[in-house]
Amino acid sequence: MRNAGYSMEKIKKQRENIMNHESDIMNQKKVGAAMVVGGGIGGMQAALDLAESGIKVYLVETKPCIGGVMSQLDKTFPTNDCAMCTMAPRLVEIGRHKDIEIITLADVEDIEGQPGNFTVTLKKRPRYVDEEKCTGCALCVNNCPVRNIIYTEPEKEELKLSDEDLQRVRVIINNYKNKKGTLVPVLQDISSQYRYLPAEVLRYVADELGYPLSQVYRLATFYNAFSLEPRGKYLISICLGTACHVKGGPSIVEALGRELGIKPGETTEDMNFTLETVRCIGCCGLSPVMKINEDLYGKVTQKKVPGIINEYRTKT
Amino acid sequence: MPRIKIEDLDKISKKVKRTVILREGAGRAKITVHMGTCGISAGAREIMSTLLAEIEKKNIKDIILTTSGCAGLCSKEPMATVELKGEAPVKYIELTPGKIKEIFKEHVLGGKIVKDYALAKGSERVF
Amino acid sequence: MNNQNIQPINEQTGKHYRMHLMLCAGTGCVSNKSFKIKEVLEKELKKQNLQDEVLVVMTGCNGFCALGPVMVVKPDGFFYQQLQEDDIPHLVEEHFLKGRPVKKLMYTPPEEKEPIPKMMEIGFFARQRLIALKNRGLIDPENIDEYIARDGYKALAKVLTKMAPLEVIEEVKKSGLRGRGGAGFPTGLKWELCRKAKPKSKKQNTKYIICNADEGDPGAFMDRSIIESDPHGVLEGMIIGAYAIGANNGYIYIRAEYPLAMERLELAIKQAEDYGLLGENIFDTGFNFDIKIQKGAGAFVCGEETSLMASIEGRPPEPRQRPPFPAQSGLWGMPTNINNVETWATVPSIINRGAEWFASIGTEKSKGTKVFSLVGKINNTGLVEVPMGTTLREIIYDIGGGIPDGKEFKAVQTGGPSGGCIPKEMLDLPIDYERLAEVGSIMGSGGMIVLDEDSCMVDIAKYFLQFTNDESCGKCNSCREGSEALLEILDKISNGKGEEGDIEFLEELGQAIKDASLCGLGQTLPNPVLSTLRHFRDEYEQHIKHKKCPAGVCKALVQYFVDEEKCTGCMLCAKNCPQDAITGKRKEPHTIDQDKCIKCNMCYEVCKFNAIQRK
Repeated sequence: MRNAGYSMEKIKKQRENIMNHESDIMNQKKVGAAMVVGGGIGGMQAALDLAESGIKVYLVETKPCIGGVMSQLDKTFPTNDCAMCTMAPRLVEIGRHKDIEIITLADVEDIEGQPGNFTVTLKKRPRYVDEEKCTGCALCVNNCPVRNIIYTEPEKEELKLSDEDLQRVRVIINNYKNKKGTLVPVLQDISSQYRYLPAEVLRYVADELGYPLSQVYRLATFYNAFSLEPRGKYLISICLGTACHVKGGPSIVEALGRELGIKPGETTEDMNFTLETVRCIGCCGLSPVMKINEDLYGKVTQKKVPGIINEYRTKT
Repeated sequence: MPRIKIEDLDKISKKVKRTVILREGAGRAKITVHMGTCGISAGAREIMSTLLAEIEKKNIKDIILTTSGCAGLCSKEPMATVELKGEAPVKYIELTPGKIKEIFKEHVLGGKIVKDYALAKGSERVF
Repeated sequence: MNNQNIQPINEQTGKHYRMHLMLCAGTGCVSNKSFKIKEVLEKELKKQNLQDEVLVVMTGCNGFCALGPVMVVKPDGFFYQQLQEDDIPHLVEEHFLKGRPVKKLMYTPPEEKEPIPKMMEIGFFARQRLIALKNRGLIDPENIDEYIARDGYKALAKVLTKMAPLEVIEEVKKSGLRGRGGAGFPTGLKWELCRKAKPKSKKQNTKYIICNADEGDPGAFMDRSIIESDPHGVLEGMIIGAYAIGANNGYIYIRAEYPLAMERLELAIKQAEDYGLLGENIFDTGFNFDIKIQKGAGAFVCGEETSLMASIEGRPPEPRQRPPFPAQSGLWGMPTNINNVETWATVPSIINRGAEWFASIGTEKSKGTKVFSLVGKINNTGLVEVPMGTTLREIIYDIGGGIPDGKEFKAVQTGGPSGGCIPKEMLDLPIDYERLAEVGSIMGSGGMIVLDEDSCMVDIAKYFLQFTNDESCGKCNSCREGSEALLEILDKISNGKGEEGDIEFLEELGQAIKDASLCGLGQTLPNPVLSTLRHFRDEYEQHIKHKKCPAGVCKALVQYFVDEEKCTGCMLCAKNCPQDAITGKRKEPHTIDQDKCIKCNMCYEVCKFNAIQRK
């Protein structure tokens, strides 16, 4: 659901560095020019703001043209404004601003000096078109014989579903055919039959219902109820709702971890137990609560855990 | 099951209320049959089933029928106490199915105490 | 059609029994084997030949879940709790046959010696005022006839025959009912907006009604309980709402974690359809309305209305920008009205008893009653419904029975992950939407988690941040990364690595997340941190400056010791220690090997003499 690759420590350190350097910078002679690296919407706006305040701007972009990702979008978050309408005026303005120099097809090779006075080395790749003379009339584009590259779909991998599986999934899908908003219920039914979502089955579902596989996976990974990994015979869900938390739920998780040798989200090697945590199953009166398949255990203590697990061990 | 009309709501309500009204604890009369070991051996169960049958037969819904333990006067069992709303409870002794039917008709439904079978009016003071 | 044609739903209906045993079949009591109790009860009743005199009714949740399984004996109202199979034969013989209530199965309040026999004499029940929960424990939720007998569907009949849609809206507006899901938006106004919304096009002129039963707040279970004990109340409210708004289709979006509630809803819808109370031409008035159930799949953000609708449509459930509001463009682009379970369940009573009656309850701006789930460190855990404006002290001490084990009350957390903590200095705060907002919390769906001296406020803030961090859908930067950053700092503080300036940074960042997020989840996620900072700043400082956790919760900051004076040398802790870290001879004080100790808290839990100390 998320991607967190960033550290508070780093930010704080950078902040400090800047503070320390600030005094040095104030004393130095500054050059009245700035370089903006990247000609996306952010870079464009930065270039414009800098140029408006009287600074000469070099706008460097690695692609053949500026505009970046936004030029490919229809609408933008969070206001749902039309992307092109936001961008086009800026493109025009940058093109004709006397203090902005656009350097496309260029990569930054080296930066020397310190804030206020940098020397930058750029490497500019060839365009094979004389930029001075080209007016952008598109005549050459339309006449180039290798313009239309035909896209051929990659060959589909064969489905490796057994007849039995095929039968099962077909029954599920047929229940929902020609109805609105069916993807989630279909996944739920598959999940309750298989206890997880097998990859092959998902591919089949995507084909049959006409959804892109990416969307099927988007939903399958968004909801907590779905698992892409096979789950054990007994699914242990420990409630970590607020009431269970304050009454010792986390220590039950640890006790179970010690007993089974697995962490939440994992399955024992013999495929008997899967450990999962849930946020509130609404039995706060009995907290801390844990559920093994459909059986509910209330007022669990660390001491009771081995006994409960052993009951299931002997069953298997 | 048939579709129902608005008038049917009241009909269903009335019909089921006989069952449900008990839970609201509001009744016109309350009959307590004393069911200690002595009472049961003297035939209190029979009194109870007679009362239930009477209530069923007359289709009455606002009478609470309940049991209590031994009333202390074991020699006069089976006994029952009838309490009409707003009136003092009356204790009846040495009951038979016939007597209780009469009491039910005269006292519970009619409001007249059946003096012949009554022990006393009122109840013991507690504390 | 005459009386004879109406077949009662189950055979008992209409028969006279002298005694009804209202046995709770809510999720809590079911997990304590109430169905097994029912079996044994019926067997024993048969043995004593009482099966025609005594009826066993499985009701919805009684609210007093901590004591499950519970049973109320009607008409007298005797209240039995914590029933075990072995108790039943004795109970049947003594009470149901001989009429001698069994004292040992009654409820004895903590610190009192004598049990309280009757339900209405127990403080927990006596001080409540039931509107949304009016039928709890009084009817069999799987029997529509019993609902009808308690004036069920009467409000619907009144609305369909005697009131114009706009009159219904006017009535709800006058009553002052506000959304019970948390934000407190006036329900009547919401309906009016949807009523007046233009349909998408001439061909596509449907409107939708949605009941939000995706009760995601951890520690709140009133929606589950309402559905389990009175599903028809919710359905009736929805049909009335649909008529007022002009909608013909309805959805109930319910959490996958509530299988019992779902089962009862399905049954209720089936029964209502059979009676013609749902479907086409309801009560022959030409009004059509049907309800479908949509099962959730475990995502907290689905409780947000736009993301809930996206989930029904099968899109990734991410919230979207409002406007357009659902009232203008909701489910599949049609005007849609979403209300919470409790709101719908309140509607029939307003129609039946009138707006003035409802408006006479509560405070100036918050009318009626509110259901709270009272959980955590409290004696009487359970569900309580009280008029708005009731003080925290009344709820916690008079109804809740105070804090267990003689511990001291510290704070109460309301509003789930979007809410805040209220300290003990504010115990006399009357609860309504405005007052809670003033002290930095919110009403939310009504979860009330009581914390005692053993709860650490940094840990609580961290707990909620972990929750929102897990559940953030990841659409907005501020929420996705902001929760991560807040959590990182809190983690640092609870691990004893907090620094000077962390508190200020938490405040600054919290404010930024509030301002920059799109939906309610992001806008409110810093609340647990900000409100604990507001009322318990010194506790944070203790963690940062002195590296101490006063409550003894944050593991990195506590050590476990044996109090030599209290230890009797019973060996219980040594036997249970998973690390074999406790040594000592019988009848001599034990010692804990700090190198081996993993701070699992086991010794603290098992010790009967309070000899284990956390410092």
